[in-house]
Amino acid sequence: MKKLIIYFSLFTFCFAGCKKIISIDTENADPQIVIEGKINDQLIDQQIKISKTIGYTEVNVFPKVSGASVTVTDNKGNSYVFKEGTTPGTYINRMKGVPGVTYSLKVTAEGQTYTASSKMPNVVKMDSIGVIKNFFFGRERKTAAVFLKDPVNETNFYHFNLYVNDVLSERFYVNNDRLTNGNDLRIQLFFKPPTNDHDSDELNSNDKIRIEMECIDSNIFDYWYALSQQSNRGPNQGTTPANPTSNISNQALGYFSANTYQVISATVK
Amino acid sequence: MLIKHYLALFLLFFSTSIFAQNKFTLSGTIRDAATGETLIGATVRITGASTAATLTNNYGYFALTQPEGTYTVAISYTGYPSVVKTINLTKDIKLNEELKSANDLAEVTVNANNRKNENVKSAQMGLERIDMKALNSIPVLLGEKDILKTIQLLPGVKSGGEGNTGFYVRGGAADQNLIILDEAVVYNSSHLLGFFSTFNADAIKDVSLYKGGMPAQYGGRLSSVLDVKMDDGNNKEFKFQGGLGLIASRLKAEGPIVKDRGSFMVSFRRTYIDLFLRSSPDSTVNGSTLNFYDINAKANYKINDRNTIYISGYFGKDNIGVKDLFENNWGNVTTTIRLNHIFSDRLFSNTSLIYNNYNYTVRLLNDATNFKATSLVRDFNFKEDFQYFSNKHILRFGLNATQHRISPIDIDSDEASQVNSLSQERRYGIESAAYISDEWAVNEHLNFLYGVRLAAFSLMGPGNFSNYDVDGNITSTENVAKGKFYKSYFNLEPRFSVSYLFNEQNSIKASYNRNTQNVHILTNATSSSPTDQYVLSSNNIKPEIADQVALGYFKNIQDNNYELSAEVYYKWLQNQIDYKNAAELLANTNVESELLYGVGRAYGLELFFKKKFGKLNGWVGYTLSRTERKFTELNNGKYFPARQDRTHDISVVGIYNMTKRWTFSSSFIYSTGNAVTYPAGKYSIGGQMAYYYTQRNAGRMPYNMRLDVSATLEGKPGKKYQSSWNFGVYNLLGRKNPYSIEFITDPENPGKTAAQQTSLFGLIPSITWNFKF
Repeated sequence: MKKLIIYFSLFTFCFAGCKKIISIDTENADPQIVIEGKINDQLIDQQIKISKTIGYTEVNVFPKVSGASVTVTDNKGNSYVFKEGTTPGTYINRMKGVPGVTYSLKVTAEGQTYTASSKMPNVVKMDSIGVIKNFFFGRERKTAAVFLKDPVNETNFYHFNLYVNDVLSERFYVNNDRLTNGNDLRIQLFFKPPTNDHDSDELNSNDKIRIEMECIDSNIFDYWYALSQQSNRGPNQGTTPANPTSNISNQALGYFSANTYQVISATVK
Repeated sequence: MLIKHYLALFLLFFSTSIFAQNKFTLSGTIRDAATGETLIGATVRITGASTAATLTNNYGYFALTQPEGTYTVAISYTGYPSVVKTINLTKDIKLNEELKSANDLAEVTVNANNRKNENVKSAQMGLERIDMKALNSIPVLLGEKDILKTIQLLPGVKSGGEGNTGFYVRGGAADQNLIILDEAVVYNSSHLLGFFSTFNADAIKDVSLYKGGMPAQYGGRLSSVLDVKMDDGNNKEFKFQGGLGLIASRLKAEGPIVKDRGSFMVSFRRTYIDLFLRSSPDSTVNGSTLNFYDINAKANYKINDRNTIYISGYFGKDNIGVKDLFENNWGNVTTTIRLNHIFSDRLFSNTSLIYNNYNYTVRLLNDATNFKATSLVRDFNFKEDFQYFSNKHILRFGLNATQHRISPIDIDSDEASQVNSLSQERRYGIESAAYISDEWAVNEHLNFLYGVRLAAFSLMGPGNFSNYDVDGNITSTENVAKGKFYKSYFNLEPRFSVSYLFNEQNSIKASYNRNTQNVHILTNATSSSPTDQYVLSSNNIKPEIADQVALGYFKNIQDNNYELSAEVYYKWLQNQIDYKNAAELLANTNVESELLYGVGRAYGLELFFKKKFGKLNGWVGYTLSRTERKFTELNNGKYFPARQDRTHDISVVGIYNMTKRWTFSSSFIYSTGNAVTYPAGKYSIGGQMAYYYTQRNAGRMPYNMRLDVSATLEGKPGKKYQSSWNFGVYNLLGRKNPYSIEFITDPENPGKTAAQQTSLFGLIPSITWNFKF
């Protein structure tokens, strides 16, 4: 909503070329540990990834953290040991999570121990995906959308990933049902390609779209929501950027999420 | 206890004047001879057996009490030649004078004794008055003259952003400015996303900005008071004026209701960008709206010598919409009914009944998310203000009671919409205050302006009020019945200023004042947004408190042709508001669980040099300042710079009256960039890149610099019908000032990250045509 207004004002007032690359003055922080753990409700190699931050000015290669000990336990008394697989820094265990069960993560890496827990929410069925035509100032624009029915009797949190021709859209898509509880939802996912080319953000005929949907718990919603609030506006606009609140202890960055998983693919007509 | 002490002091001062012998009062109203408009702040000086001087109040009224004798009375006002009279003060005398404006006289050289030294003499500190004539020639964006952009050129006042009417005063937040139009609070003073203000300069008579040392009659906001008064209207003859600009056209009509007794003024302004949109062949574009309009109206009638009634109102609206997508409109309404009553020559009263509201509507027209959201803040306000003019004192006291009602948001949607209807609970509050202050001219050298304001705030039922734990979970909820007081706060706000004159040209001043605030805006946007949410102090939100001390040196050079001042200030702020990570502020019943509370401090040095008269006039302002906030939950509990912390701020305004018809003007600004949070690192999460932040607001946006120029060509003088042209260029240097920064893949080096700056305005020319008859 607010963004539409901003676009609108830019449209009106930005007469000449108004974007340029500048250099900023910032420190390069020391490497911090980043843990990204997911347990979903499919029988797959579940992955816990451990990596490190790099300085702002460095080339985007993120160091992996090998040799960690990673264990997941659940509140039913099961324990799963995650082993580092062929990809360094990625710890795997073939298992299947169950909705309603709380999973706890314990990671020991480089002498530090990190813990987190997450309760897998119930599955909300992703009914279908589709393409919606919007008109922005006379220009037709196709947008991917997810259709689902939000259950009325519980608080739900959703996270989506959008892939267009197998390229992951660089936006954090996250929803809760605070204002939409119990309704048939049509959630639009505006594509943002990893390039700077703003014309390539349109969907074209024959594009393959794939949408992953995860039902997440409230901490993970806050995590993704904080990222989504910051990602598309830089400093000086909107929220002052800060590290999203992690559910992992000991000041690790990242999150540990027990979530459901569904995926649907389609081709744009 | 403290109140008693104050009252005792007041009584002590009064006893001296009450029992004095053979004193008489000279009182009256000073007006402009051509329009009958009362002149605010005109100097009335009498010399004879003793010497005294005073300023006319907001209604042009003055009163001076002196021992019996023969006196010379000199009345002066900037831009008007002085009027000098001799009076025999053997009884109370009424002196209603009309001054002829220098503009209306054929040949006038404003001579030295017209020039007052008020900036040096008055105990008041931190007060800036905008000269409405200078305002007309100061260049602004798209030629739309604007008082809020003009005050941003003063030291201590920082702009809310490029071309934005939002402002920060001495380290305060944008919602800490009390903006009042004819006594009514204007909640949202911006049009069109902040690029223009709600104040149509045509309809404005007087603008006073208090950056500090607020007198006790003002309260309710921490950082500043912007007191805007509308024109009363010409009570001599009917006049029309108007203008056509690039953005808006204006029309104003004024005239007598009954000659010399009453007058009216109506002013209208509307934009027409959307007319261009409408002419587009494209159906989405021509179905879009983008406009604002406002209407100012005022009427006054002098019932008799003792009673004058004023009715004034403002109505403004913005409309933005994209066909089939969304509509957004917002606006303020204010209505003020006032009665000036002169009880005796010495006791002047003003009773005001005020209604004001701010409301917005957002309508999403998308077929799946079809809903309408509305919000309203509404005040009923009663003010009773007395001024008592004694020999050496001007005593001011009064009462103020405001009832607030806030409807945070009502969402109205149909069955098919995926958004549910919702009505967030209304909040009711009563804000009341009693104040007393005294302006005391002790002797030729020493002046005091001191007082106290007792501010009370009560959050009222009906409503459900919750308490929250640190994680934002509800710990208890209380249901409070209608009309019941749920939570009350009382704050005593001392106000104190003193000036010491070394001589007519040099003085030092000091002030201390405390201000409190019970209406807060929740927003995480930089500048004011139409959907800003207002909240009252509550069980969770404590009243914001600011304490400010200031010290200044004031000097006039060359018969007041040049004014020089240096002020330093230090301000402590308590109960400041910030937000938790991932805070959801809109349509959130538990929005108070998303807030963080902290403290702030701001300090700085303001230098101001002004040339008031002559062919070339203008000013140079410089501010060196720091503004910081501290929250336990943010930045490891350490002080961090507020976004508006800008170390250096320079503004230069020059107006050159080349000939009678041509005036050239320019303004130049430079300021340090805003304090922002830049990433210190980056990492991969969810298959995407995220940024790692360390210190909050430790980075700086690039600096801002801009030169604006304009030229005004007045029509040939002496004709009844007058017209003028104004040509302007905004951002003559074409500098790309930073508006926002986003981080993108480096186009030169795809493995790396680059910062991309967006600017709003390049060089923008403008032309405006104005007329008057």
